[in-house]
Amino acid sequence: MTGLNLQKVFRPVKKELKPPKYKLMTEAQLEEATRKAIEEAKEKLIMPPVLNEREPIDDVLAEDKFLEGTETTKYVFTDLTYSIPHRERFIVVREPNGILRKATWEERDRMIQIFFPKEGRRVIPPVVFKDEHLVTVFQQDRHEDILNMCIAQFEPDSPDYIRVHHRTYDDIEKHAKYDLLRSTRHFGGMVWYLLNKKKTDGLLIDMIHRDLLDDATSLITLYHMLHPECQSANEAKERKLQGVDLIKIFVKTESQREGYIQLALQAYEEAMATSTAS
Amino acid sequence: MALTRATVLLRAAAGGLRGPGRPLWAWDTLRLCSTQAAPKDPPAPPSPYQERPWEYLESEEYRITYGDKPVWLGYRRNHKGAVPPQRTRKACLRKGKPVGNPCPICRDRNLHVDFRNVKLLDQFICPHSGVILHPTHTGVCMKQHKLLASAIAQAQDHGLLWLRVPYVPTPRDDFSNRHPAVGKTPPAPALAPGRHWYPWYEWQPPPAAAVARIRRLYKDYLKEEAAPAVTGTPPDTPPTPCVENKGE
Repeated sequence: MTGLNLQKVFRPVKKELKPPKYKLMTEAQLEEATRKAIEEAKEKLIMPPVLNEREPIDDVLAEDKFLEGTETTKYVFTDLTYSIPHRERFIVVREPNGILRKATWEERDRMIQIFFPKEGRRVIPPVVFKDEHLVTVFQQDRHEDILNMCIAQFEPDSPDYIRVHHRTYDDIEKHAKYDLLRSTRHFGGMVWYLLNKKKTDGLLIDMIHRDLLDDATSLITLYHMLHPECQSANEAKERKLQGVDLIKIFVKTESQREGYIQLALQAYEEAMATSTAS
Repeated sequence: MALTRATVLLRAAAGGLRGPGRPLWAWDTLRLCSTQAAPKDPPAPPSPYQERPWEYLESEEYRITYGDKPVWLGYRRNHKGAVPPQRTRKACLRKGKPVGNPCPICRDRNLHVDFRNVKLLDQFICPHSGVILHPTHTGVCMKQHKLLASAIAQAQDHGLLWLRVPYVPTPRDDFSNRHPAVGKTPPAPALAPGRHWYPWYEWQPPPAAAVARIRRLYKDYLKEEAAPAVTGTPPDTPPTPCVENKGE
């Protein structure tokens, strides 16, 4: 459903200016190059993981009351062994009142970024991820960029990552800007979120307007897989419907914006009829 | 001394020629010799665009002065020789006074470098490569260049400018959080409520053998007690000395 628009995936990014390179290729070489490009694009379009929020860490390892009053600051001890994955790294904090506890997720992320810096990630997250600044971003239609920045900055199970993604998807759904994310790796996440919230009408209308009937049917099949107890799922299973009939059943039973979708379907069918007739 | 001998001579020399025939160096001799301070120009009023610098870039005044061209186009630095120094001047305001031929930003009092007026910041970024233009190219002084660089960074932070969005490939680690470093570990038995971390945090009765040994050592000094001190209870807090004195 994400769609593979090579022009959009490999669109030019502002980099150092170099004169363009021209290559003379035979048909076979061109096909080979296109095939490689499609493979690379598929790599770039792998959906990032969608996880639940991580549970906060609040384990106390030791209580040494006699250390109280000796220090005025917390001490953070990080295990700097190079070959262990970051999720298995032990990071503990000794508080001024003597308690030795495991570091919280935010402290962990900060410490790991200080000692093992990752490209594109800052120790203190930029201000743009706060809600009031996200509004500015959405006004400039930069949803894909902010989501890429979010993947670079946060871990997939951190509450900030989930909050930014949800806000972006809500804004896209509110303004029906689904095409911004089509052919990017974030489209799958958006579809999953909308399916869970049952707000698929806008997306369905958009797909029908762009004549993507296959995508529309796969969307509804997914809906039935996620919510098997709903009425349209039962009917579809009984009658084993396919294609446009599936959409019609779904529209009748589940959707809120029935009228719009019926209109869109009618327009599509008329367009199909005229194109087949001519 | 208000009038020195030299000035008297000057005055005589200047006074001799009156009218337009007076030499140029004699014009201000009277003011040179007076004790009053030279009249200063009134201080310039503050720019009306101090709070909202982006409005100036939409105004008629700006359009008449600059049109569609960037602010720095047409500015020419004054330097010796064909090759300009690779660093522009340090600042255009030295001790509050402007230098001659100030840089494109300092010469216009309505232009303020702020992270919110993105249109001005865009003029100093190369449209093709997304790189901040070098001060030798635009002609701004080094102080303004630093302010520009920090304003561009701030604008990127706030989401008003988008120069380089980092592309990080999708993370594919194990996110199950089962490892004890990040998962729940059962707390140590000593941390159960009611128990202390070290056993000696609470008063422990001393071993009977040690008590017996001490009693044997100091047998001659022990006071006669009605009942031997019970080892199971902690000692009472000692009475405060002032209370004892008052009691006595």
